Amino acid sequence: MAVAQTESPGLSRFVLPVAGLIGLGACVAGILVLYDPQGGPNLLASIYEALGNTSGAIDLRNGSGDQVIAKLLLAVIALVVGVGGIWLLFVCVGGLVGLLQPKWRDRILPWVFVGPALALLAVFLLYPAAGTILRSFQDDKGLFTLANFAVMIEPEFTQILRNNAIWLIVGTGASVVLGLIFAWLFDRVRRESLAKTLVFLPLAISLVGASVIWGFVYAWQPAGQPQIGLLNAVVVGLGGKPIPWLTTSPINILCEIVIMIWLQTGFAMVVFSAAIKGVSGEIIEAARLDGASERQIFVRVIVPMIRGSIVTVSTTIAIVTLKIFDIVYVTTGGRFNDDVVANRMFHEIFQFFEDGRGAALATLLFIAVLPVMYINLRNFRRQQVEG
Amino acid sequence: MAKRLRATCALAGVVMLMVSACGSSSTSPSAASVAPSAASVAPSTAASVAPSTAASVAPSTAASVAPSTAASGAPPAAAVPTVPTGYTELDKALGADTPFKGKTVSIQTQWVGGEGNNFAASVADFAKATGINIQIDSIGSSHETVLKTRIEGGKPPDLAMLAQPTPVLSYAAKGKVIDVATFMDPKKLSAEHPATIGLVTQGSNIWGIPYKADVKSTIWYPIKAFEAKGYKVPTTWDELITLSDKIVADGSNPWCVSAGGPGDATGWQLTDWVEEVVLKTKGPAYYNDWISHKVTFQDPGIKEALDKYVGKIFFTPNYVFGTNTAIVPQDQKTTMDPMFDGDLASPKCWMQKIPTWYGPDFFPDQRATSQPSKYIVGTDVGIFPFPTIDPAQKNVEGSADTLMMLVDRPEVRAVAEFFATPQGLQKWIEAGSAISTNTSTPADWYAGAYKLKVASDIVNTAAAIGFDASDLMPGKVGAGTFWTQMDQWANNGGTNTDAVLKAIDDSWPSN
Repeated sequence: MAVAQTESPGLSRFVLPVAGLIGLGACVAGILVLYDPQGGPNLLASIYEALGNTSGAIDLRNGSGDQVIAKLLLAVIALVVGVGGIWLLFVCVGGLVGLLQPKWRDRILPWVFVGPALALLAVFLLYPAAGTILRSFQDDKGLFTLANFAVMIEPEFTQILRNNAIWLIVGTGASVVLGLIFAWLFDRVRRESLAKTLVFLPLAISLVGASVIWGFVYAWQPAGQPQIGLLNAVVVGLGGKPIPWLTTSPINILCEIVIMIWLQTGFAMVVFSAAIKGVSGEIIEAARLDGASERQIFVRVIVPMIRGSIVTVSTTIAIVTLKIFDIVYVTTGGRFNDDVVANRMFHEIFQFFEDGRGAALATLLFIAVLPVMYINLRNFRRQQVEG
Repeated sequence: MAKRLRATCALAGVVMLMVSACGSSSTSPSAASVAPSAASVAPSTAASVAPSTAASVAPSTAASVAPSTAASGAPPAAAVPTVPTGYTELDKALGADTPFKGKTVSIQTQWVGGEGNNFAASVADFAKATGINIQIDSIGSSHETVLKTRIEGGKPPDLAMLAQPTPVLSYAAKGKVIDVATFMDPKKLSAEHPATIGLVTQGSNIWGIPYKADVKSTIWYPIKAFEAKGYKVPTTWDELITLSDKIVADGSNPWCVSAGGPGDATGWQLTDWVEEVVLKTKGPAYYNDWISHKVTFQDPGIKEALDKYVGKIFFTPNYVFGTNTAIVPQDQKTTMDPMFDGDLASPKCWMQKIPTWYGPDFFPDQRATSQPSKYIVGTDVGIFPFPTIDPAQKNVEGSADTLMMLVDRPEVRAVAEFFATPQGLQKWIEAGSAISTNTSTPADWYAGAYKLKVASDIVNTAAAIGFDASDLMPGKVGAGTFWTQMDQWANNGGTNTDAVLKAIDDSWPSN
């Protein structure tokens, strides 16, 4: 709107509505192209025809030719329509609200800005969540039942809960402790940023990607065959027998947790590192003058002072471990006494066709995550008050 | 002033939005559905996955722009059935006026890579002859997950291929599947697919069309090394054990065994072993009662299959390469690698029981280089039928892919009917790696390929064909406890048979 104020009124009066109209037209056209299954190739074919490349256009319309470029074109359109459309929406609705009396405007305007986000949350989060909870109380015919929750009293489920508990305690604990130690140690090395980058890098890898990578580390071949797995190559090189890491319970759970620690330690370290730098040097100096050792400073001064960060990081990682699915699914499928709730949920729905039981597990998981979320939020609010 | 401008702009925008929405709804039906469906499309991954992996194999909607393909017509060896085919819509589609020209039919499959190419080749001639644009969504290993999402999201593909009949029946129970008996002659269907149509038939409803079959009662072995050592291909269980003992006495391990994993699909090979033995000791009636749980896993017959037969192979010292503890962690892909030692001249393991879909894709040289393997199936690596155990029970185990129809349109019917004819698989058969479920398939199509000849010989001499039992049991057992408990049984050296069988029985769904 800064534009409208600085430029001459006559020009903006003309330019803005026209630009808005053009933008809306473009949005509608873009959505039409995106909605049409053949929209990308057809649009590109039309462009090719306009540019005189008839054979290219024919190829595209026949389902061959530059399909990749057509997809790229679609991606660009989606980006422009998505971002531009949202911007246009804000401008239009904001302008409309601007017409109202100041009293009403002040009340409505915040909702205009929060509205789209709330609407998206409702459609993509609240609606499916409510549907899932409802489904967990229904049988295949849609009648009310509690039978789905029988999934929780099966003997296998005790083991699944045990595994989730191991994930929660070992996974979260190790990530937080390691992250804390790294942050503290790296705070005083010369090439701090390089060291931190190396620990932080794995976070850029998806859980699935990391599981595939570690799958090679844990790979196993019978004794006598060449070992392609790093770990077993070392074991055999030292004269041992190859160990089937991922199919031997209970070491397979620990092997899987290592993958997550590898990913999450970097996240914990970065947050802790920032918090440690926020601890005033005067306090540490005072502690030193009082004769505290470096370890005492760390345990008695630094850790208590960054307590808020520790709670935030712990709860965030705890939620990741409670919901853990990808690593288990990719490495073993939870087939070797290492199943977890989320993976079981997937199996119930997509392999056993037991949607109700899957929904019951999802509901359970949701309830299990709630207290952690609550701690996280409360801590966040307190930090805001303090900050 | 600025405020006024903003307001004008906003008003104009809103009016424009309304006008364009109304305008397009009266002129173009697809535009009218944009607003509501844009929201419903987004959450479904299937909807966004499908188009991106879609491979169009046919001259598409704009057929007029490709005069060369249109004019050339069908090549002489086109894999297209001759009219009259016995099916209404198929005859129409192949008629001179090609009424379905330019229509699109989508089909979702799990076949990628070599299998995907063979499937695409199978439909190419038909697409060309009828002008129907057959859009193949090759999803790969997440095929069933994506399919379920698409079906329940209300936007299913027109057709889908499934490797197991159980999900077909599940979807049918939910009213998602078109009954093909409503437009195809059930008598013709069952006459031509006698062994497989029953799997998807419920009363007068037929929920799918069997398409491609696999024989599971096959054992792969190194031909030349067998000859060099003077080993004979065994035809009975006793001969199989004698041969195994001989190989052990010669200082080697006779068997390469993998549970099928590691990973999510582990255990299926072990259940195949049990199913094979049950079919060959107890026969089809008992086998079917076992599938429906009238015969429990704790029945003496099943226990005998594990302890006396499968356990004999798995747990006799030196029988399995790497011992029984290698079975579960053994990677399916590398299981047979020890057999190729010294260019197949000095195998470290000699036999693997694995279905007919196995082949050079899995041989170590082709796996490493992606170049065609130098080992030829039929001269280097051979296949022999799983030996008979009880001479009165000459039964074999098989499996079949089934076509499921999810949307009812005339052109979809035509394509479905095409897959019911032998020509629907002709190119894949001629590529040497598929067997049709259709018994009217000309025998000479198989003649050239060693593997298919072995497989069709096995099927032709069988008294009965038992479909993969674990695929027919409830998913919780057939893809759940039966797999995992067999893994535990293998890991424990067969000492916990009773506990394993009881655990499977206990997990059987009560309803």
